[in-house]
Amino acid sequence: MGEQALTSVRSHLEPGRRSRRRRLVLGVALALLMILVVALSGCQSRYEALDLTMYQYRDTKNLVKFVYDAARILSEEGLSSLAYFRSHRARFDTPDYYLYIYDVTGTNLYHAGMEEMEGRNVWDVTDKNGKRIFPLIVEALEDANNPHAWVHYSWWEPGRFYPVPKSSCHFKVATPDDEELIVGGGINFPHEEQEFIRIVVDDAVELIDRVGPEALVDIADPVSEYNYRDVRVFVFRRDGEMLISPAINSTFSQTNLLECADEVGQKPFVQALEELESSDRVWEMFMAKGPYQRRLIRKCLYIREATLEGEEIYVAAITDLPEPPY
Amino acid sequence: MARASEDHGYSVNQVPPATHLLVSSIQHVLLMVTSLVIPILFASQVSGSPEFTASLIAFSMLAAGLGSVIQSVGLPLIGSGYLYPNVCGPSYFSLSLSAAWVGGLPLMRGMIIVAGLVEMAIAPIIERLRKVFPTFIVGLVVAMVGVSILAPSITSFFGLAFREDAIRTPDMLVGVFSLMVMVLANLWGRRFAKMYCLLIGILAGWILAAILIPEFWHDLVAVKDTPILALPAMGAAFRGITFDPKMVVPFIIIAISGSLKSFGNLLAAQSISEPTLEETDFAPIRKGLLADGFSTVLAGLLGGMAVDTSSSNVGLAGATKVLSRWISVGAGVIFVILAFFPRLISILSMMPKPVMGASLIFAGSFMVSTGLRQMFSEPWDSRKTFVVGIAFFFGLSTAFLPSLYARAPHFVQTLFTDPLPTATIIAVVLNQIFNLDTLFGRLRRKQK
Repeated sequence: MGEQALTSVRSHLEPGRRSRRRRLVLGVALALLMILVVALSGCQSRYEALDLTMYQYRDTKNLVKFVYDAARILSEEGLSSLAYFRSHRARFDTPDYYLYIYDVTGTNLYHAGMEEMEGRNVWDVTDKNGKRIFPLIVEALEDANNPHAWVHYSWWEPGRFYPVPKSSCHFKVATPDDEELIVGGGINFPHEEQEFIRIVVDDAVELIDRVGPEALVDIADPVSEYNYRDVRVFVFRRDGEMLISPAINSTFSQTNLLECADEVGQKPFVQALEELESSDRVWEMFMAKGPYQRRLIRKCLYIREATLEGEEIYVAAITDLPEPPY
Repeated sequence: MARASEDHGYSVNQVPPATHLLVSSIQHVLLMVTSLVIPILFASQVSGSPEFTASLIAFSMLAAGLGSVIQSVGLPLIGSGYLYPNVCGPSYFSLSLSAAWVGGLPLMRGMIIVAGLVEMAIAPIIERLRKVFPTFIVGLVVAMVGVSILAPSITSFFGLAFREDAIRTPDMLVGVFSLMVMVLANLWGRRFAKMYCLLIGILAGWILAAILIPEFWHDLVAVKDTPILALPAMGAAFRGITFDPKMVVPFIIIAISGSLKSFGNLLAAQSISEPTLEETDFAPIRKGLLADGFSTVLAGLLGGMAVDTSSSNVGLAGATKVLSRWISVGAGVIFVILAFFPRLISILSMMPKPVMGASLIFAGSFMVSTGLRQMFSEPWDSRKTFVVGIAFFFGLSTAFLPSLYARAPHFVQTLFTDPLPTATIIAVVLNQIFNLDTLFGRLRRKQK
């Protein structure tokens, strides 16, 4: 009888206990969450000073952050930090990116993935196309249009034997030892960012303004900054006549760009020139055939107006646009 | 007003109490919101202005909301009467984009109307096809409905915005956390936690994303410039409706494919809502397809993107056992009201991608397992093995090897588009071929 009463009391008490326990667990979980929110909301990102809004891909943003972090270490600790970089090579040679440090004369002080390069001068080293990479890095670091000093070239991966397209970004660092160093990082098989063609077209417009017709020789030079991978800066007149072709190394086949249509029959150059009447630069999207697959992909055209010996001309480049994830 | 039972939340015709109706409708709306990525993506692909994007979203929401009401409210001639909301349809995305590239929004609207009319015309035919859809093929179709949301769910789960971009650890954490909360609330939770497991998972994931992903706050700040209340603007881009004979055939094909997908969704909705049915009741399916086609026509007329039936919402209904069609009506009404509140839409469409992905995986898992269970619920034989096996191989190949079919002859490209329509067509055709011997046997016996 007594046992029965006890069981009955227990059965009345247990739901209450369970409910109290559940409330306690919920309360603790909420409190922990609040602490986490408060703790993290007080944190300031170390990338506050870094503007990455111009990039679309995370890979590109992550590379700039990666090099920026290394530049901070170098600017705070100077040459002594080289020992740290050398003893942590795996951290600075990831499957996605790798880090390197040069002095301003082109002598390598550190290369995360290619140790044998350290101590060697690369000023005159070219890629397979004849592009002199280091002078391009130095120019990019002086270029106000290129805030993260991007350079595009072809190289290889350590231990491999085939060419790999690369894009690298750089920061110039003044160390506490009064040294001026260049810290950079590269990405293999980079994504084509719109920002990359913005930089080369803006540079080409400035060059034309500065040196006139001679600029066209430099812009058309396949080993200049104005040509990388499938990107080529090209120049044309108001009537569509090409001064530098977007597709080949000469203008022997004169196609009028204003008459050219994309894969769905739109005329991007005509539309862009109309829009340029009310704007100094235009991004025009068009449809092209994708490589190997015959489906259509989006590309874009970046065009700016320039003046060459009193004549209005147009400077442009074409790049791919990011594709939806599925 | 009905009370929820322990095993079944609410059955298809029960009217839940007002609070439950509202919260359940909001839960479904949150899942429907994931489809707003379609008009957003579309606008970005045609370089639309922010005003264009806002109007496109609003018109698409109006069409989807009205479509959901028509589908579920229980009208005599149209609508399935199941919990079965409409959303912006991914099936029509690429073709709508091609139409917009060629002839702008007027052509897209015209072609969407054509597709809707085709779907409406298919509806009565489907009823006559009952013999070609035995239970095991119905199960296969339902399973493939779940499979067809694999790509959007997984890419969202990993927070991907663009193809081949890097996956971030915080995105994975948010996705896993959100999915676990949904699943565990469903498995271990009691009434409320079980019923609102998706809502709880979404909120939990959203909070974690706000803590771990700084970009989320940057995006949220941008919302303050969006008006709170606004009528969708019928800008110049939205004026006019045009047609292009060259685009009719591709749109007819996609309409047939869309009808098959909706057919699969409707079969799934019926299996979940009326589990005691011994064989498929084709009347609500016909009416449901008619409503789906009508909603697509409505989307074209309004200037929104083509609407489609939502596999994820059917999955959610099945997982929570909250099956009342009035929830779909409520979700539709909320979707229509939301169309006039751009700031709210902006905030909702900022739902972190991994949370969206987790929601889709949660709902998709239910669809896949419901289909497989239904498929194997009847005695099995070698014929079925080959029908299902071959249909699976070729159906799934469209998801695994899409570039393969991009280089195939045109007629093959037309057939091999998406796992659902491809597997369905192959299963139906093979089932007829592999049963020719029994057909001839019957004929011979009759002659004797």
